[in-house]
Amino acid sequence: MEMEKKKIIQFKNIVKDFDGQIVLKGIDLDIYENEFVTLLGPSGCGKTTLLRILGGFIEPTEGHVIFDGQDIAKMPPYKRELNTVFQKYALFPHMNVYDNIAFGLKIKKMSKDVIEQKVMKMLKLIGLEGYEKKDVTLLSGGQQQRVAIARALVNEPNVLLLDEPLGALDLKLRKEMQYELKRIQQEVGITFIFVTHDQEEALTMSDKIVIMKDGEIQQVGTPEDIYNEPVNRYVANFIGESNIIPARMIEDKKVRFDDITFDCVDVGFKPNELVDVVIRPEDIDIVEEAKGKMTGTVESVLFKGVHYEVMVETVPGTHVTVNMHITKNHDITSEDGKVKISANDFYLDIEDMKDIDDKEIIARADAQAWNPETDEYFSINNIETDLKPEIGEYTVTFSTQSNTSITRKIWVIDQHIVENKKANEAVSAFNFFKTADEIKESLALDTDLKLWANAQGWKLDNEDEAVDISVDYDFDVDNLKEGIYKVTFWTTGREFKIHTTDYVEEGAEIGLTFYPEDIHVMEKMGY
Amino acid sequence: MKKERNIFGKILMVLTIVFFYMPIIFMVVFSFNESKSLTHFTGFSLRWYEAMLKNHGMMESLYVTIIIALLATIVSTFVGTITAIGLSKSKKVIRNLVTQINDFPMMNPEIVTAIGLMLLFITFKIERGFVTLLLAHIAFCIPYVMLSVMPKIRSLDPNLADAAMDLGATPWQALSKVIVPQIMPGIVSGALIAFTMSFDDFIISYFSTGGGVKNLSIMVYTMSKRVNPSINAISTLVVVLITIVLVLVNVVPMIQKRTPEKTSKNPWKKCVVGVLVVVLAFFGFTRFGSSIQNKPYEGQTLHIYNWGEYTGEEVLGMFEEMTGAKVVMDNFDSNEQMYIKVANGESYDILVPSDYMIQRLIQEDMLQKLDKSKIQSGLDQLNPDVLGLPYDPNNDYSVPYFWGTVGIVYDKTKVSLEDLKKDGFGIFLDEKYRGDIYLYDSERDSFMMALKDLGYSMNTSNEQELQAAYDWLVQSVQTMEPEIVTDEIIDNMAQGRKALGLVYSGDAAYIMSENENMGYYMPESGTNLWSDAMVIPKNAKNVDLAHEFINFMCTYEAAMDNSSYVGYTSPNLEVMDELSSEGGDYDGINAYVPRTGYEKDEVFEYNEVSRKIISDLWSRVKVVASNAE
Amino acid sequence: MRNFKQLAWPYIVWCAIMLLLPMLLIFAYSVMEQGNEIVHFQLTFDNYIRFFTDPDFLLILWRSLAIAIKTTIICLILGYPIAYFIANRSDKVRNILVLCITLPMWINMLVRTYAWIGLLSSDGIISYILGIFGFGDQELLYTETAVLIGMVYNFLPFMILQINTALCKMDKSLLEASADLGANKVQTFLRVVFPLSLSGVVSGITLVFLPAVSSFFIPKLLGGGQFFLIGNVIENQFITVGEWNFGSAISMIMAAVMMLLMMLVRKVDAKSGKED
Repeated sequence: MEMEKKKIIQFKNIVKDFDGQIVLKGIDLDIYENEFVTLLGPSGCGKTTLLRILGGFIEPTEGHVIFDGQDIAKMPPYKRELNTVFQKYALFPHMNVYDNIAFGLKIKKMSKDVIEQKVMKMLKLIGLEGYEKKDVTLLSGGQQQRVAIARALVNEPNVLLLDEPLGALDLKLRKEMQYELKRIQQEVGITFIFVTHDQEEALTMSDKIVIMKDGEIQQVGTPEDIYNEPVNRYVANFIGESNIIPARMIEDKKVRFDDITFDCVDVGFKPNELVDVVIRPEDIDIVEEAKGKMTGTVESVLFKGVHYEVMVETVPGTHVTVNMHITKNHDITSEDGKVKISANDFYLDIEDMKDIDDKEIIARADAQAWNPETDEYFSINNIETDLKPEIGEYTVTFSTQSNTSITRKIWVIDQHIVENKKANEAVSAFNFFKTADEIKESLALDTDLKLWANAQGWKLDNEDEAVDISVDYDFDVDNLKEGIYKVTFWTTGREFKIHTTDYVEEGAEIGLTFYPEDIHVMEKMGY
Repeated sequence: MKKERNIFGKILMVLTIVFFYMPIIFMVVFSFNESKSLTHFTGFSLRWYEAMLKNHGMMESLYVTIIIALLATIVSTFVGTITAIGLSKSKKVIRNLVTQINDFPMMNPEIVTAIGLMLLFITFKIERGFVTLLLAHIAFCIPYVMLSVMPKIRSLDPNLADAAMDLGATPWQALSKVIVPQIMPGIVSGALIAFTMSFDDFIISYFSTGGGVKNLSIMVYTMSKRVNPSINAISTLVVVLITIVLVLVNVVPMIQKRTPEKTSKNPWKKCVVGVLVVVLAFFGFTRFGSSIQNKPYEGQTLHIYNWGEYTGEEVLGMFEEMTGAKVVMDNFDSNEQMYIKVANGESYDILVPSDYMIQRLIQEDMLQKLDKSKIQSGLDQLNPDVLGLPYDPNNDYSVPYFWGTVGIVYDKTKVSLEDLKKDGFGIFLDEKYRGDIYLYDSERDSFMMALKDLGYSMNTSNEQELQAAYDWLVQSVQTMEPEIVTDEIIDNMAQGRKALGLVYSGDAAYIMSENENMGYYMPESGTNLWSDAMVIPKNAKNVDLAHEFINFMCTYEAAMDNSSYVGYTSPNLEVMDELSSEGGDYDGINAYVPRTGYEKDEVFEYNEVSRKIISDLWSRVKVVASNAE
Repeated sequence: MRNFKQLAWPYIVWCAIMLLLPMLLIFAYSVMEQGNEIVHFQLTFDNYIRFFTDPDFLLILWRSLAIAIKTTIICLILGYPIAYFIANRSDKVRNILVLCITLPMWINMLVRTYAWIGLLSSDGIISYILGIFGFGDQELLYTETAVLIGMVYNFLPFMILQINTALCKMDKSLLEASADLGANKVQTFLRVVFPLSLSGVVSGITLVFLPAVSSFFIPKLLGGGQFFLIGNVIENQFITVGEWNFGSAISMIMAAVMMLLMMLVRKVDAKSGKED
């Protein structure tokens, strides 16, 4: 079925550098006749730059652009036999629809009747007959879009370049135009090179997708290739939804992750090579716990219309439990009754001592002063403490301008950290002191609990990468008494996203299964 | 090809910059010139800066310009912004109407706006001065502010103010804390435009001011007839001030960026305050530096309406020193201009009109009788030849200021005395000198010249004679390509640019003292023996001080400075004799001593009918001259 | 929010008094009989008749228009390439150049015009430079050329800035689109750039033509007393002759002529904008 097509465009080692910033790092790419090629990537990946080099609006710093066997890298745009549909169409606002479309033909000094014939044909192609005298600025986005396409196509280029042409349209119109564009491409039978950051657009229309990142091509292939066999984590993430798991290749057709060895179909990796594995959510089936290749707990079930999106936790996360001391109200009221002040005892990690300042102490103690009648807040403007960077018990006194003050305790401790090597993460939290009223008044209790306990989670291999934590507690907010309550902070472990049409209960223990060919092993991305 | 075009563009750009900056550089350079010349740099000196600082009219005008510009900017920015916000919420009809009316000052020729405002002030009897000037400036600045603020408001989210008020802001807080910060760039550029417009304005100011309040433009306009390098000096000062302001505006925000946060967040406020302080400090220093003494007229002001370039360098200062009063002098170009202004209610303490105009003012009961007892000592020093002239036989109303004749100034190297003797004033019809003559832009004296040459009396009211004179003048402007000038003739003849010109004797004296090739000739057909005199109008506000001034001007010291600087003949006998005698400034210059006792010479008389005819005919002559170009 | 509406009212009153009323007054004076008191109103059209029946006044009006048109054309011919050059620089250079053009406008117009007297006088720098090129001994000051130079000098920045703004506002992708469709630089300029900059050209023309017609200090300072334009006639009527009614009539005529011309220019602009 592979028919040898003619190469129409070849990019050879294209490098582009804007004032020392390298935007394209040596692009090599061949484009064949009559293809619908999509350059796909996030903004800033260099896809538009590559298109503009082809259009002739910028010159590459290095490399060649071969068009029909001729190097056109330095040829001005008006001599190139290709046309562009611009991002925001760039229709000439001082001309009507007809004149916009006829522009290129008039430049070529064609005779009037030929121009008219061609323009009319184009109007028909784009379905805008009768619009020729309309002012382009009064057309809808979709109509402007069509005029821009007609204006380019009327010149009968061999290649049409489209620079994110659908970006400015609303969702419904965008879908319509996707079919329209594909139809036009098939009808006129020329090469379309289409730039977008929308993966769905790319999958729908293209014969060939080129995925780019940071000025480099990641993968070139048909939509099916790219979806089913992404070469790396980046591509897998960019195209469709996926579960990506770090893994180790044991030998050909054997891959191990989450302490289980699985059969797969991939070969050619070195033994024990670290790899990434991608499993598409729709390739995983939910089965009885005993029949699964893996087992887990259903975390959440979301209804998505055609299917349910089920999140299953196969490896538990990291937990840390702390004590919440509920104390009695201990506001202090000034003698004249005009100022109330409150603050809490708190724990402090010895490692945090170096960054501590007055602001931080006020925040940790949640020290506040206010007028009980008007609810007007005062600032705390004096803090006295014997705090030292050593483990021990200290006192701190907060006072306001009017010398109303309150004294509290600070315990400096060496905080215990829970590490979870398997999940590559760690969490920590402190015991804390609060009054029942403070708990009741909290507008967002989960967030406040995390704040009060200074609960944090991070990756073991990269301390700067935070891990989301959740909070669990079983006290009744409205019925708190003085005493000690447990609060647990935890992270999620390994989760799989599964698309299924079968409903499962949240919290159910289930098994997961998939075929060896559903496991796609990819090289680790080199950084 | 691309490169070639670039070179063309660059050359054009450089030429443009040169074109724009050449006059400014020229001005700065020549402000340091040692001599009066505007074309030859003879050496470095600061004398024009001294002259500028001494001339408080100049400093005053700079002060007025800046104060008006600042006030107009502040008020119009505030009002314009508030109104623009208000309009954005008003009905469309009202909005469109206001926008239409706002377009008036922008779409109308400026002179029309100016005249409209002048008529407004006069019709409602609002005395023109600082306040009317300010009002006029505010009036034409607001539309520009609105023009620059409106688009910013239109691009605002219409719910912004509602959101602010929903969150508890009062309408005023919503305005000042949310809306205004959002449209700040528009407000700032509006304020800048307003400041530039006001600072630069001439036409509207010219028509809407009065009472001696002048801005820089008006000052330059009234002084520009004669070469006066002090104008260059004050212009250089303006350039320096503007540069300082621009540097402050551009550099201060940069410095503030570098020292982050501590200072206020709004660099503009600081800039404006800074600029204000600099400017006010500057003027505070120059204005109030030296005037705390006890003088009889301390704190009073004398308003004088006089001819341009008609006072000595020192006299006003001497008078101020002596009395402690402040002198504000306004200048006019012609008796008619003075008359219109005074007749429309402008109030001055002293006027210096000519003979026939004094007669008219007396007839129309616009002058007060002088209190002779207060000025007797002055009168005693005057030349009997200029006292008791027919327009005011007993000097009940007027005391002479200068006097002289009208004649022909000529270049002895180009014009022979025989031609002059043969032709008289008719030499202005002699095509031998085509393109080489100046006529003087004075309806009276132009007609005098024609009438005298035709052998009529210059005081005729005979319409045929006047018509003949008109034809004479038309023939001259059509065939002789004259330039019709006023005081420019002085410097131009002093530099020998043309061969012949009609001049006043005093100007001739000055010209001859500057250029020895020049001569002065009084035709045998007779000429105008004129005198300009000081009078006190009925609506004068400071009559005592006015008498003081008249008396002072008759004294030897004042008359000496006046006459030696200006070149006109002093009515003070001693001064006249001294200046014309051997070793005097005007020794051997026949123009300085007027021809007296010649029977064909006449003094102008006022005649309502002929005045109108002459005035109309002369403006026709000028129109014809203009069209003859 | 609605109460912000009231903020506009004070200005509406001000507008009526300071902008509208003056125009009405000029009109009232122009149809009044001689006399500077509006109390004795006596309708007459003599002032208008007098102007239109006098060929000399009509000639002056024509000459004023002619010199303003000349000024406008020169400003356009000089201003367009300069604006085009500036618009095609990088942001930084453009800002500096725009500042260079704006800067002189901060310095008083009269002062700058006054400086030209010295430059243009017969032994001044310009004559000297012309002399080097063999155009020696040209009388420049007090000629129409001097007036033209003064006007171009004063009004050229307006033209440059307006056109520059229009050119900068233009979407650069339109130029790319034009090149993409096969137009070379010249064709792109003629078919896309110039038609799209017309709005700037028109407002530039307005800003040059309007003050050029009515200017009276430039002709007076650089043209001498025999160089009379319509602005000088008006000034003369108000300041020296004192016939305010006639002066008002001329003002009305001038305002009307200007308005007509401006409408014409705008119409041409609107039309040419739509044409190919």
